[in-house]
Amino acid sequence: MFDLFSDIFTYRDNALTRIDPRVKLLIALAALIAVVTSARPVLPLAVFVLCLGTIAALRIPAKLVALRLAAPFSTVAILVVIQTFVTGTTPLFALTLGGWTLTAKAEGLRQGLLLGARVLGALSIVLLLGIATPAHRIFQALRGFRISKEWVEIAILMYRYIFVLMDRAGDLAAAQRLRLGYTAPRRALASFTALAGATVVHSFEQAGRTHNAMRLRGYRGTMPFGPLPALGRRDRGLLALLLTVIAAAYGFFAWGING
Amino acid sequence: MRAVDVQGVSFTYDDGTEALAGIDFRVEEGEFVAVLGSNGSGKTTLIQLLVGLLKAKSGRIAIGGREIGSLTAEELYQRVGLVFQNPNDQLFAATVEEDCAFGPRNLNIPEAEVQRRVTESLAAVAALSLRGRAIHHLSFGEQKRVSLAGVLAMRPAVLILDEPTAGLDPAGEAQMMQLLKKLNREERMTVILATHTVDMLPLFANRIYVLDRGRVLQQGPSEEIFCHQEMIVRAKLRLPYVSRLMYEMKRHDGVPIDGLPLTIGEARAQLLELIPKEMILPGIEEIGS
Repeated sequence: MFDLFSDIFTYRDNALTRIDPRVKLLIALAALIAVVTSARPVLPLAVFVLCLGTIAALRIPAKLVALRLAAPFSTVAILVVIQTFVTGTTPLFALTLGGWTLTAKAEGLRQGLLLGARVLGALSIVLLLGIATPAHRIFQALRGFRISKEWVEIAILMYRYIFVLMDRAGDLAAAQRLRLGYTAPRRALASFTALAGATVVHSFEQAGRTHNAMRLRGYRGTMPFGPLPALGRRDRGLLALLLTVIAAAYGFFAWGING
Repeated sequence: MRAVDVQGVSFTYDDGTEALAGIDFRVEEGEFVAVLGSNGSGKTTLIQLLVGLLKAKSGRIAIGGREIGSLTAEELYQRVGLVFQNPNDQLFAATVEEDCAFGPRNLNIPEAEVQRRVTESLAAVAALSLRGRAIHHLSFGEQKRVSLAGVLAMRPAVLILDEPTAGLDPAGEAQMMQLLKKLNREERMTVILATHTVDMLPLFANRIYVLDRGRVLQQGPSEEIFCHQEMIVRAKLRLPYVSRLMYEMKRHDGVPIDGLPLTIGEARAQLLELIPKEMILPGIEEIGS
């Protein structure tokens, strides 16, 4: 649980964490658009490999990366299988399961691989962004793109209290486990329901106490934020360079400008 | 001028629980006052009334010479600041710096001044090195100090703390109390702390108010408070451990002890007077050295 949500790597000092989060957001957005609109799987897969390579170069533990990619990989696998057996007309091979014959088709497989590559490419971009930028800096950078202050405020508070509530839920779950709350499926369901209910109640109480604390420091309905610094020359140069690279790669790999 | 003046204040919760029954509570500027009481004695209710989170049903509360009801939120929270018992209730920003800057930014002061206040308040609690850290990466003791810094950045004249040492290890407890002592002695900040732990109070508090079931049982300097053993027991409290030891030696063993020492230093001085000189070995190593 902790590994999955750990953001400790975002506070490391490296070339990526030093880039202004607004630049990273814009580059990530451009790359996402290129990946999800790509007509061929080459670009998304190249982005996927590039992002994973960068993550490896940043020495992020493989276990953490595997944990975060486990769910998307499963989704992609299901996607490819469903597309292969549902879409298209050209048969590749047939399977018989419980009296049913399922025929895999070439068009479906191609379509599934393209969709899967897009999902993996997009997720790897988000994963890299999340590993190279603390969430609160991403939220604050959004202010630079005129996202409403209220949205940013709620996102920051949610991010802060996820960890508090996770700790609380972890303690409650441990207390339930120590009293054999998860030893049988029915009991586990009852324990989990109670845990979820207690966490909701706790989060309401926490919200009340936090609101009081905010009022005592002058909160009047809007969280004040410091000014965003102007983008430096290095960041602007990097932004221009990477946007050009993404546009060129999109032309070459996504649509095949040269044929 | 009187920093806090509470006269005849009562408060009853909606469920009928009478939390405070006509109490008087006064704190002079620059004083270090402890509100001592067991759970349910009314400490937290009193604190919440002092910072305007609750409104008194009857009586009068003045902060810095002005009625609390006549102060705007900006005026009130620059006069009085509250440090919550659980830092998670108070630290809501993502990083230490953002959290400390929250209050000053709400005062609409220039950003350079905001940054100066953040630096000074973090330096005051020995947490300058934590400035860029995420709140959820801090230890409990660090969170306690940062929550104090967040309140100090508002520059309140009166600092109120609800159980400031709860959950801290002995070293953290001592560090927190030393920080408060420094703020009180060097910065002349008025400090009010609500607690039920008694051992450190004689070292720090000028005066102690003992609360029980919404009433003030007694108030005065620690030496006056702790000599009333029956009252302490009635308030479901206890003597500091060192005082208890000396009290038992006096009562059961007839050891001739003057008054009741409240600190280790006082107890040591009294014992050294009673122990024959020839039994004391000069130059012996100190315990723990």
